[in-house]
Amino acid sequence: MTRGDEVVREESQRLRPTRWLERHALAVLGVVTAATLLVVFYYPVLTVFADAVRVEEGISFEVFHEILTDPFYFGALAPLLEGDFGRVSEVAAEQPLGLFGFTAFQALLSTIASVLLGLPGAYVLSRYEFPGRRTLRSLTILPFVLPSIMVAIGFVAFFGSRGPLNDLLGLVGLGPVNLLFTLEAIVVAHAFYNAPLVARVTTAAWESVDARMVETARSLGASPWRAFRDVLVPQLLPAILTGALLTFIFTFMSFPIVLALGGFRLATVEVWVFSLVRDLDYAEAATLAVAETVVSLVLTYAYLRYEARQTGSSRATNPPPRKRPLPANLSPLAALERAGVLVYALVVAVVFVGPIATMVAESLTGPQGFTLQYYEFLVQRQVEGASFQTKPGVAVRNSLAFGVATLLVALPMGVTVAVLTTRGGRWARLADTAAMAPFAVSGVVVGLGMLRGLVFGVELFGHRVQVTGPVAIVAAHAVAAYPFVVRNVAPLLGGVDRSVVESARALGATRVRALLDVELPLIASGVAAGAAFAFAISIGEFDSTVILATGSSSYTMPVAVERYIGNRTLGPATAMGTVLLAVTSLSFVVVDRLGGRWEA
Amino acid sequence: MTDLHLDGISKSFGDVTALRDVSLDVADGEFFTLVGPSGCGKTTTLRAIAGFEQSDAGSVRFGGREMSGVAPEDRDVGVVFQNYALFSHMTVGENVAYGLRFRETPGGKSKTERVAELLDLVDLSGFEDRDPDELSGGQQQRVALARALAPGPEVLLLDEPMSALDARLRQTLRTQVKRIQSELGITTVYVTHDQEEALAVSDRVAVMNDGRVEQVGRPEDVYRRPTTRFVAEFLGENNVFAGELRDEVVEVGDAGFHLVDLDASDGSEVVFCVRPEHLVRVGKRDAETTGRRAETTDSGAENAFEVTVEAVEFLGESFRVHLDWDGRDVTLRAPERPEIETLRVGFDPADAHVVSDGRRDRSVVEEN
Repeated sequence: MTRGDEVVREESQRLRPTRWLERHALAVLGVVTAATLLVVFYYPVLTVFADAVRVEEGISFEVFHEILTDPFYFGALAPLLEGDFGRVSEVAAEQPLGLFGFTAFQALLSTIASVLLGLPGAYVLSRYEFPGRRTLRSLTILPFVLPSIMVAIGFVAFFGSRGPLNDLLGLVGLGPVNLLFTLEAIVVAHAFYNAPLVARVTTAAWESVDARMVETARSLGASPWRAFRDVLVPQLLPAILTGALLTFIFTFMSFPIVLALGGFRLATVEVWVFSLVRDLDYAEAATLAVAETVVSLVLTYAYLRYEARQTGSSRATNPPPRKRPLPANLSPLAALERAGVLVYALVVAVVFVGPIATMVAESLTGPQGFTLQYYEFLVQRQVEGASFQTKPGVAVRNSLAFGVATLLVALPMGVTVAVLTTRGGRWARLADTAAMAPFAVSGVVVGLGMLRGLVFGVELFGHRVQVTGPVAIVAAHAVAAYPFVVRNVAPLLGGVDRSVVESARALGATRVRALLDVELPLIASGVAAGAAFAFAISIGEFDSTVILATGSSSYTMPVAVERYIGNRTLGPATAMGTVLLAVTSLSFVVVDRLGGRWEA
Repeated sequence: MTDLHLDGISKSFGDVTALRDVSLDVADGEFFTLVGPSGCGKTTTLRAIAGFEQSDAGSVRFGGREMSGVAPEDRDVGVVFQNYALFSHMTVGENVAYGLRFRETPGGKSKTERVAELLDLVDLSGFEDRDPDELSGGQQQRVALARALAPGPEVLLLDEPMSALDARLRQTLRTQVKRIQSELGITTVYVTHDQEEALAVSDRVAVMNDGRVEQVGRPEDVYRRPTTRFVAEFLGENNVFAGELRDEVVEVGDAGFHLVDLDASDGSEVVFCVRPEHLVRVGKRDAETTGRRAETTDSGAENAFEVTVEAVEFLGESFRVHLDWDGRDVTLRAPERPEIETLRVGFDPADAHVVSDGRRDRSVVEEN
């Protein structure tokens, strides 16, 4: 090639304005992402923080002091914080835990229950080979994205005094028990959500254990039990602890489950914040929200630090052989183990299938047996309902529209953050922390912040800037959803060989071109999973939507479910829940057909 | 086509210094090889040329053009990596055509013609519609080479392209790469840790160690006349001796050696090396002793010392004899397995080369 050709080539490159944009697209996307986060996440949350300390003129920590020293919130810790040691024993006898103590207590119980329910599942999934194992493994992600209010309704129907659980117990001569509005119900419902999570991370760790390490231990003289304890357990423990810590964080901030199954009698901090917001007591709500956020931020930080110390699970080159459920020769010990697995399978069926099946059954069961009256109610409400009433059709339409919009916002945001996290050098740490912050802030706090900050409006350069209704809801959903895009995309992106990207660069592709042409196609399954997550989280999101949709027609299906919960009958709510289930399942099928995989 | 200049390149990663003041000049159309042990900085040098790493100091020039700050996509380089780095979601043809999306096809040909031409060049005609996963390692690496060459880059950069292949395939492929390179006359920088490979294919080699260039030259010159102790020990086998110069004699232990071309003052330390194939047995005239080089035993007699045999390895064309000389390890190549425990060996002064003891020089510098 001659020098003249080169000059022409360089000129032609310089003349293309799109080239400039392409070259700086990642920086531009990063700035847009940061700005979006700033407006729809950091600003609203900081508004809540400001609400907590702002009085008429200036700043006051009076409300903080009140809350910290109120036994109602902090139990026996409150007089300690006040310095009034004399009252400690008196308070300890009356209100030992307080609201925060109870919240942590139920989170702890829920974590223990989730680990106990999840570990046998991890054992079965990682050590047995049976038809449908892969499907079952994929399904462990499902509870996580099921709309919580729907699950709550299912549990209410299931645990109710005339619910199937008591029928089952009656068959074996037990009961009846009333689990509704008890701690036990909350704990079991939390296990429904989080045991699959524990099972999932533990299964991944167990499957990556190299059988040769156990064999080496055996050859060195360790008994099977010692080899298990000395070689296997240390490799599984980090995964179990990761799952447990995540479970604790999630259950500490849990909202709809506690609201539906515990009511205000067994309120957690989150539920109490919601109740204060409804009573328009924003200052106390904000202060409480800040206290809660501090706790969850500390926990999330601990989790991230712990996770970062774990080296990436290397894929086992030599995984141990899997057991068959029914081998030809069954030793007594092996038979006992199979019996245990069978019992476990029954428990899993009751806990996981029970509530969902009950909800569907309940929606079709009236006082006189089978009925379609609740669905007729939905149709009638849709056709004849007044504008202020909640229409099911509108809820479905809103949910789908918000879901798609959330997807379109959260996917580029998540991918951008993932790129900056995995390849950005000095930006990586900052991006990672910023990416996980929405993870640590509860939906109610985000909803409250958006309500106070954006929906009520901000004075900006003499104009009142308001973000309302659908836009606010999509923003809140995107904030909740994009960390999941990051979590799905970033590990795969990090696994793409650096030299593949560099080859594309050397061939003339800009950074963004390389991302679009090479990296994203290579990790299509992760991107699809991230997209599915974003959509599913939007569909199921309840915590902030219920605040932002108050008094407007921007309600979604989960909010409609909550609004249909009647005093006397669960009928319309279960019918709406079934519609929600149908729409959600259908969406998953569509996403699955489009190439998504539930291999997060 | 382009010549390539590196001038005072330095690079650190945190506390680790990867490159210390590296300067190189590669001529237009030259096959230039960076060779050295892992961690010596050879790959970092290549990545600085490609633009994947920005150097902390120094400049990279293609022809007369300064490349510092120029993004990799604007440098017009072709890069081939050790692990092929093929785009597994594209066919072989799409892989080769990828660079043509951003650069004009050389010679005014259509993309299809160019892809066919390049696949023909690497003996993979008709492989356009295959998936990379279906190909063997050697075939994948040839696709990677075709892909790198398709847009007609100014500089070809090869980062250990053979390391993932087995020994036999490596030899065939390196011959092929060399043939293609000289056919196209493209300026090429090749990185390898395999000294045999480096010596076999290069016009010139640069031996790197600890972020520095130790020696640059034609393969035979660098092999025969290493200037530093590191180069002497890294390229092929070598016996390195350190002694003190007294009255034109280098005293090593009890022995005294006569060397040619000595340029050192009396009393100073002298480090020199003798290849195992240049060490010969002396004191026995029988045919069974030294075989081919029996005629040199007389000249070796003046630089002789007594050694004991520690171990013998059969290498096919000769034996490698591990010897002990008063606690020093010495290696000898012999046509036959030595039958006795104690030998006298020696060397022709012309076969010994004085080298600078790089490590020692540096440690002195760094202490200051």
